[in-house]
Amino acid sequence: MLGSAELCFNVDHGYLEGLVRGCKAGLLTQQDYLNLVQCETLEDLKVHLQTTDYGNFLANQTNPLTVSKIDTEMRRKLCGEFEYFRNHSLEPLSTFFTYMTCGYMIDNVILLVSGALQKKSVRDLLGRCHPLGRFSEMEAVNIADTPSDLFHAVLVETPLAPFFQDCMSENTLDELNIEVLRNKLYKSYLEAFYNFCKDHGDVTAEIMCPILEFEADRRAFIITLNSFGTELSKDAREALYPTCGQLYPEGLRLLAQAEDFEQMKRVVDHYGVYKPLFEAVGDGSGGKSLEDVFYEHEVKMNVLAFTRQFHCGVFYAYTKLREQEMRNIVWIAECISQRHRTKINSYIPIP
Amino acid sequence: MAAADLRAELDSLLLQLLWDLEELESKRVALNARVEEGWLSLSKARYAMGAKSVGPLQYASRMEPQVCVCTSEAQNGLQKFRVVRAGAQSPEEVGPREAALRRRKGLTRIPEPEVFSASPNPLNWFGILVPHSLRQAQASFQEGLQLAVDMASLQIHINWGRSQLRGLQEKLKQLELGAA
Repeated sequence: MLGSAELCFNVDHGYLEGLVRGCKAGLLTQQDYLNLVQCETLEDLKVHLQTTDYGNFLANQTNPLTVSKIDTEMRRKLCGEFEYFRNHSLEPLSTFFTYMTCGYMIDNVILLVSGALQKKSVRDLLGRCHPLGRFSEMEAVNIADTPSDLFHAVLVETPLAPFFQDCMSENTLDELNIEVLRNKLYKSYLEAFYNFCKDHGDVTAEIMCPILEFEADRRAFIITLNSFGTELSKDAREALYPTCGQLYPEGLRLLAQAEDFEQMKRVVDHYGVYKPLFEAVGDGSGGKSLEDVFYEHEVKMNVLAFTRQFHCGVFYAYTKLREQEMRNIVWIAECISQRHRTKINSYIPIP
Repeated sequence: MAAADLRAELDSLLLQLLWDLEELESKRVALNARVEEGWLSLSKARYAMGAKSVGPLQYASRMEPQVCVCTSEAQNGLQKFRVVRAGAQSPEEVGPREAALRRRKGLTRIPEPEVFSASPNPLNWFGILVPHSLRQAQASFQEGLQLAVDMASLQIHINWGRSQLRGLQEKLKQLELGAA
């Protein structure tokens, strides 16, 4: 039906969309970043953040203030907002929120499994897990030895269960297999999320599908770049690429054969969206890295999501923009605490 | 004359000392730069991977060192430090342990040479697919380690040079007093 989103969206989700737009207006401005960059110590940073939407979020922290504490408190604040949205949502927005949390759940599972490999205590690990990815079976994750164990014993009742079909194996969870598990789970999750948005149709599909396609392609590029010089074979690498992006199928096949950054650049020559991104990458340690360039592109796409109304994508875009803001603040805080101010302006401002 | 020889020796010793001091200073500056670079690369890795992915959760509280510092004596009796990969020493220890095991078990086993596996790369604690910045951090810290060891050897050499210098100055003074 033409214009069905404009007619029906506000009935169930109008209040939450209004709320998220208000939250988006509270993101740090360029002037806020200029103030933060001039801080001499982390205490100054805390004082400047009090004048923003963050308020007194660090009030309960004991001295000395560390970058890690700032990061944990920011995450807790974001989680509080997210949980508020989620608790007040109706279908299909609630399923959309569940899909959003699956990414964080995967990270938590991997953190717990690799922590078990390093003989860390479960309590320490649980304290460091991402609050958005919390689920009740988390304490039991460290008992599993193989991915099949992990599925059958622990995760079969969680939202992650459908993503395990490609990951079942009896190999013991060592460092290589944990990495493979992480990427396969994420690939299944991303493809499922993409199909959900596509089936939803309407403005949500128009906004979310390009964002998720970029996410899939980004993962393929980063996996390829980081796999040079490691024990991951080309076939194993190809199995980790999500297939819901623009690169599927030829681009992914070519990328799987690449052996260095120059060959990756040649693959990207065929894709108009990605070619200028790769050209913006600096050489050596001077300029921007590929990850920086991708983060900038992601910020652009997420800001554009707010120019359309009546879709679920604003919630995804807001969460991602807040995460970028948190990365910016943590970067500035690290430069301040290490007294290494040459690269302090390498954050990505959010227009 | 003995005094002239002594003075010449004193001069060359002083020159050597000044040269060593200059090298020590340049190595110190280089070490500071490597350590700063290393920490900044770690921050960059946290930016790319997530702040909790590069931190104390990723390494065990007890770890085997990959690299050891060995001391040796140079010809002039001075101690010299050098960096040695820890794994290079273990194959010699395997033999006697095997024999002890055989005696305890009372079986005649053909002693198999224990397959010595390469010590694990600490980079793998953070995952197999780590960003370039983390590898750069590892390289910076490794260079810094070598610099620190060189600085320690240089420091010993400088201390020895200073004591030699003092001894020679004493001798020269006594020689001049005796001649006077």
